[in-house]
Formats: sequence, C-alpha cells, structure tokens
Amino acid sequence: MRSLKGTLAVLLCLAAAGLLAATATAQVMDPAHRNPTPAKTPTTASNCTDCHSCETPTHENPCLQSCRRHGAQFLGKHETDEGPEVVVIDQLANLYGPVVFAHKLHAGMSAMTGGCTNCHHSSPATGKVPPCRDCHQPTRANTDLRQPALKGAYHRQCINCHLDWSHENACGFCHEQADGKKVADAGQTPKKPGSHDPTDIVGARHPLIKATPTYTYQTKEPSGPVVTFHHEDHVSKFGLQCVSCHRGDSCRSCHDASGTPKEKRRLDHVTTCGACHAERDCSFCHSKGAKPQFDHKASTGWALEPFHRKVACTTCHGQPETFHKPDKACTSCHIHWAVGSFDHAVTGVKLSENHRELDCDSCHLEKNFAAKPDCSGCHDTPMYPEKLPGTKAPRR
Amino acid sequence: MVTRREFLKYTGAAAGTAALVASGAEASTGKTHLDPERIGVLADLTLCIGCRRCEWGCAEQNKLPHGTLQSYDDQAVLKEMRRPDETRFTVINRYPAPAWREQPLDVKVQCLHCEKPACVSACIVGALEKNPKGPVTYDAWKCIGCRYCMVACPFQIPAYEYDNALTPKVMKCTLCSERTLKEGKLPACVEICPREALVYGKREQLLELAHERIAQHPDRYHPEVMGEHTVGGTSWLLLGDRPATEYGIPELPDQSPAILTETIQHGVFRGFTGPLMIFSLLSVLMKSSTDKRKPGQGDSHGDNRDGEDHHG
Repeated sequence: MRSLKGTLAVLLCLAAAGLLAATATAQVMDPAHRNPTPAKTPTTASNCTDCHSCETPTHENPCLQSCRRHGAQFLGKHETDEGPEVVVIDQLANLYGPVVFAHKLHAGMSAMTGGCTNCHHSSPATGKVPPCRDCHQPTRANTDLRQPALKGAYHRQCINCHLDWSHENACGFCHEQADGKKVADAGQTPKKPGSHDPTDIVGARHPLIKATPTYTYQTKEPSGPVVTFHHEDHVSKFGLQCVSCHRGDSCRSCHDASGTPKEKRRLDHVTTCGACHAERDCSFCHSKGAKPQFDHKASTGWALEPFHRKVACTTCHGQPETFHKPDKACTSCHIHWAVGSFDHAVTGVKLSENHRELDCDSCHLEKNFAAKPDCSGCHDTPMYPEKLPGTKAPRR
Repeated sequence: MVTRREFLKYTGAAAGTAALVASGAEASTGKTHLDPERIGVLADLTLCIGCRRCEWGCAEQNKLPHGTLQSYDDQAVLKEMRRPDETRFTVINRYPAPAWREQPLDVKVQCLHCEKPACVSACIVGALEKNPKGPVTYDAWKCIGCRYCMVACPFQIPAYEYDNALTPKVMKCTLCSERTLKEGKLPACVEICPREALVYGKREQLLELAHERIAQHPDRYHPEVMGEHTVGGTSWLLLGDRPATEYGIPELPDQSPAILTETIQHGVFRGFTGPLMIFSLLSVLMKSSTDKRKPGQGDSHGDNRDGEDHHG
C-alpha cells in the first residue's frame, strides 16, 4: 500500500505539472494579441534608389532618377492655358480606341480648385510639366508598389473626379473599342441624347444644373417691355440641348476664380433667340405682361388632345434646327392604319358588325380623316351624324 | 478519393506530428513557419469602383463559369449582397455612401488567406495548407469532404460543390498560387484591376504602404488596416473608409480561433504528459487490483490478460 501511495503522489505531481504547462501555454499563445503592435507610423526615410539611379552617386555624377518616386513635388510655376488643348491617350490602342482628353478644359476646371497639381503631382522647377507616361510605365512591372503603372495612373486620376461629378464609371464614357465600336456600358450612357458633344459642358459633363423654369425680363422696349422666356419649354418640350444655346462656354463663364458660381449670366439674345426666331416680329417675344407657357391650340388652333399630347414636338416637326409644319393628313404618320389593326372605339364610335370589315376609305374618302365621313357609297339617305355606324363609346 | 488505409495514415501522421511537434511550437509560443518575405494583396476599397473586372479575371483564371467581359459591366447585381460560392471565388458588394463621402464603398470579398488559418487547423487530413509564402492552398486529392473548413472559417468563405455527385471539391480563392509563386505573375484579379485598387507584394511592404496612405489621407481612410491583426492577421489587407465591421467583416478578435483549440488539444499532449499520466494511472490501478487478487484465485486469470495484452 505504501508503494501505491508513493506512486499516486508522483502521478499527482506529474498531473499538476502538466496542467501548469497547459495553462502557461495558453497564456503565452499569442504575444501579438497581448501586446498589440502600435499602428505603424509612415516611413519617412527614403531609399537611395528613390532619387538615384546608380549604386554610388557622386557629386560629379549624381545620376538622379528622371522621376522622383515618392515625396514627389510640383516645383514649377505654370499657367493653366500653357498646356495643350487636347491630349490623345493612345498608349493602349491595341485594346481601346484613343481617348481624347480635353486638356485645356480640365485645366480650366482645375484652376478653380488647386491648379495643375490636381493631376500633375510632380514637376521640376524649370521646364515643362512632364506628362504622366514619363514616370508611369506602360506595363505593370510591380517593382514599386507606390507607383501605379500608366493604365492605373490614368484611371485613378480620371475616375476620381468623374465619379464625384457625374457618378459615371462606365468604360464607354471615355473609351471606344479599337474597332470603333463604343464599349458596352450597360445602359449608363449619359442621360441626354447628343451629349457626347465635347463642347456641351453644361449638359453632359457638368453636374445637373437646375434652371429656373421661366425667366421674366423687364426691357426698355416701349411697345412691349416684358419678355417671358420659358426655359423649361425649350428644354423638355422643344427638345433643345443645353449646347444649342450655351455654346463655347468655359468654367469661368459661370464661375469666378475660386469656383463660386457667378450671380447670373445673360446670353446675347439676338444671336441666341434669333437663331430660331429670326423671322418673327418683336411682339413674338415682347409684350405688355408675362406670356403664358406654349399652348398648341392657342398658337395653332389645333388641340393636341387626346393622343398627340404624349408625342414629342420633334416627332412631327423635326429637330429644332429643321422645324417644319407637318402634313395634316393623318396617314402621313399613321401609315399602318388598316382594317383589323385599328381599334375604332378610341374615336368615340364603336363600329357595328356590318361596318367593322369595311376599308377605312369606304367612309373616310381618300383616307381624309379630318373631313366628315361619307355614307352615300352604301346608304341612300344621309346618315351621319344623325345615325352612327355603331354605338357610342368613351373617347380615349 | 482517399482509401481507408491512406486516410488512417494521414490522420495517424497528423495526430502524431500535431502532438509531438506542433504542440510545443507554433500555437503555443507564437513562433511561425511563415516566410518573413511572404506575399499578400492590399485592397484599397476606396479606389474600387465596382467595375467587376476582378470577378471576370478570377473566373477566367480558375475556369469557373462566366460570361463575356462585357456581361460583367452589369451594375445591377451590386444592388444585392452576394457571397463567394463554388462558382465564383470573388464578388464585389456595394455599401452605401456615408454622409461624409459622396462615393459608396465597393468591397471585394474573397478568401483573406489568414496567417493562422482556422480552416487549415480544422482540416483533419491536411488538404488545406498555409503556404509559408502566403496562400492557403487546397489539395482535392487529400480532401475527404468533411467540410470542417467551412464551419471553421470565421469569414465563411470555403464553399462546396454540392451539385457534383462524384468528385465534389471545396472551392475558394487560392491567391492564384500557381501564377504568383511559380510563374511570378500577378494574381488574375490584381492584374486586371484598372485602377490598381489591388496591389500585390510582400505583406510587410503592403502594410507600410497602407499606413502611409492613411497618414497622407486621414480624411479618406479608416485608420485601421483590416487584416493587420484580425484573427492573427491575414494575407489580404483591406483599406476602407469605415470600420471593417461596417462592410461585412464580422466582429472578430485579434487571435486566430485555431490558437484556442490547438492550445487545448496540444496542451493535453504537451511533452506526452497527458497520455503518460493516463496510462500510468491505468497501470497503477491495474497493478493494485492484481496485487489484491494475488493471494486468492485470480492468478491464472491475470496471466491470461497479460497474454492478451502482449498480442494486442
């Protein structure tokens, strides 16, 4: 028994030691966790190779890098209109068509928010501002993690602002494919047709401007001092683009040097309004009091009710530049009206069984739907409008 | 896939090595077998624009089902939160813009390749391995389909080919280890990223770069790099405009879940103390019981048992 007690005591000691070992293990398991390393401060020290291209630079031959790697500085002094008008970015022309970058336009925008350094973050004290490709390599060597390759550099520069401004990041916004086709952009084409016009700053590239729907001007014209301009009508009804009137604008047309919008700007009304309304007399614009919005019936005597109200002006009258009066014959537009395809009930008369199969021109002679229908082809006594070729139906 | 004999071999070997070697070393002392030059990827989420080129590049590289590059222009999928699964190793999720920033945050989701991966720890056959150079790799030949890795992963990344009746595999990002470590190329997603929102390089340098960016633009970045410490660190490092818990990363400690389980399991076997104790105790009990029976009739019975033990 004594020997058994002894063995048990030894075993207990062993067990205690084991447990201690296990707990000790648990305590030291993760030194990183117990003493979390403080957030690293950024490395300010540079490597020799950041500035020098050779191993042993001397006073005589400092072999300075043509591109300073990090800590790059913009040392030169430049004016925004020094740069080129347009830069064609075509280094990846095998994949994408060249991107035409309106440099001067962007320089103008930059001038209001920080100047050249918005994009050109490195420039020597004298000489020209180096283009992006001088430092950013066309292929991604991944040797300097701080410096993106050319493609990355372009995308970082352009997309940042474009996202903020127009919330656009579709490839097709800037790129055409090498074969000339526009890159598919999943329905993200700019909101208005024709806004790819590079001079259309206001309509396409600029964040949406909320214009006043109606401007009323007081003039010195004695016969009609008030000029009412329905801006909203011109944009939404008549189909004008911003660039139709706001031509050749630059940022400074509307903003001061700090970027703050200027109070208000008046276009030259003779050239702007006259472009479309040159043949009108003064009273077309000038009146004693404010003019109401455009009304088709009041102006032309022909109401658009009920169906034509939904049709855009340009559908019948063509583009604003080629405005014309449409052919009054319904069939000039409605060429597909035929028996079976047209629901006559929409006109207010639902045709009876007998009349349903007849050709349109049996009653509407020569398909002149504006004239009174003629029943004499079949009926001896004049019928319409005393008697209808069917029953009354609600006009739709 | 694996024969019973092989399986026993692997598990036996795993148990043996785990008990004798790993127990004292990695889990308990914090020492690591990882290469100090190991690689990783820094994902600057504030640069990501959700173009989904990485999704396409990944699918193309890993021969996963995918459409044309143009079909990935569809931004409508970003309206829903998605997860990587057996048909896609990476997805982009879009989180709404915060009040102070105009842009939403597009977050690339994929295996983060933990420094001390729970999936590797949970894998009983060694099918998942942490390459000292960084990637967590998978060997389908060793896998028995137990899916412990899926349960273990704190980010719920590994997926399983449930629809593949004959040769189902665990599916997850491999950090393109074939391309990166053998061919010296960039991972497919990194290579295709048009804004270089993804940077591939040595983890140490990436961390330095990340902290540099935070210091340069404190207004733009959340000051912590996701993956520097979380679950003991990850090879992928995420730099966002908000805390990681606000873009789909669960609230996790700075310690790998594998540390706790391995410490308990390995601690029991540490220096072979546990087994020694149990077997010593058993032998003492046996001896004492034999001692009691000695004077009586138990002799022949005891001899028989001894004989059996020897055979066993």
